[in-house]
Amino acid sequence: MTDTVSIVIVSHSAEVAKGAADMVRQMVGEEVRVAFCGGNSEGGLGTDVAAILEAIQAVYSSKGVAVLVDLGGAETNSEMAIEMLPEGESENVRICNAPIVEGAVMAATEAAGGSSLTAVCATAEDFQS
Amino acid sequence: MTAAQVTLSLQRLIEAAQATVAAHAEELTALDQAIGDGDHGHNMVRGFTAMQAAAAEIAAQPFGKALHKAGMTLVMKVGGASGPLYGSLLMAMGKAREDAPTDSAALAAVVQAGVEAVKARGKSDAGAKTMLDVLVPVQAALAEGGGIAAVRSAADAGLAATKPMLATKGRASFLGERSIGHLDPGARSCALLVHAVCDVLEEE
Amino acid sequence: MSEIEPMEDWVSDAAVIRDPTGLHARPAVKLTKLAKTFEAAVEVRTENKDVWTNAKSPNKVMKLKAAHGEPLLIRAAGSDAQAAVTALVDLVDRDFDG
Repeated sequence: MTDTVSIVIVSHSAEVAKGAADMVRQMVGEEVRVAFCGGNSEGGLGTDVAAILEAIQAVYSSKGVAVLVDLGGAETNSEMAIEMLPEGESENVRICNAPIVEGAVMAATEAAGGSSLTAVCATAEDFQS
Repeated sequence: MTAAQVTLSLQRLIEAAQATVAAHAEELTALDQAIGDGDHGHNMVRGFTAMQAAAAEIAAQPFGKALHKAGMTLVMKVGGASGPLYGSLLMAMGKAREDAPTDSAALAAVVQAGVEAVKARGKSDAGAKTMLDVLVPVQAALAEGGGIAAVRSAADAGLAATKPMLATKGRASFLGERSIGHLDPGARSCALLVHAVCDVLEEE
Repeated sequence: MSEIEPMEDWVSDAAVIRDPTGLHARPAVKLTKLAKTFEAAVEVRTENKDVWTNAKSPNKVMKLKAAHGEPLLIRAAGSDAQAAVTALVDLVDRDFDG
């Protein structure tokens, strides 16, 4: 049982996803759990519902999971993955409308203080304003 | 369309869908290279091949559950946004009805549920240069009681209409005006699948 | 920018930013995280601005753009205000632990 919101990073590129997760770990620390996925099942660019589902479940917390995505398909596939979670878990997982790298760092910084999922997403989404 | 005609052999439908996707994979990829990221043919083949591998298991289920399982297979295997879009289409059709529709009105209602799910998933509608430009007129043809010929021509007209369109959804929308003059790959794959379904219906 | 009422009873101090690139992203995240560990309202500002910024907001702290050699003014109000100010000044003095 963790008491911080977890972060999931979904990029079309496995390297971008890993890089963003590395930035979160190095800048914010280890107390916020971060999972990432990127690329299709053959190593090319793309996103994969099964991989997103796995990433969400790897860091799932009833406190919440904030999902950061890059381009269109990443969002569509993440929405699909969220709907496929077991009953009662979907509502604790939310996609943040924020740039993937900056949003992930901001979301994790907010999460580190024990903030709610709503506050975590608001901080990530507030980044550009 | 008679009751006998809409009591489809799901196994044959899956085989026909896989065959048409495989036969046109290069064409879909070429269309997608022009305005997308060039993986549509490849992704569709992967998804429909996985569906065919599970065809016996899918076809053994009643209509609703079978479509749900077929849709889920596409969601998990296609990769890219086409997986959730085609998957949502089939899953919503399966959710709309437990048993196979027995008349064209019931079939139109089932397809309607699927089309609405695609709109919701893609946050889009006809006119944005997507698969919905084929699905929406096909559904309308069914709802008007049109036969197989009407469905086929609705799919063809819908597909052709995507060529001069400006893409406002999906990857192609990044191209802005440069998306004009190309057929939409998703609309093309959708039209191919409509024709494949019509082929099976005509044989039965 | 202050959202805290009443305005009295602030504990204040200041520390000079030592990092050659100023208060950039990484130190800003550290400062925010530390501020969040306190109950007290914690605010920061640079000398040339007269509005205080919520030190618990990573977005706002990053936008401070406090430069090298600039004093960062820190104030806090609440039960653990003194501890908060001491801890934040100490963090800046340690150059955010490199």
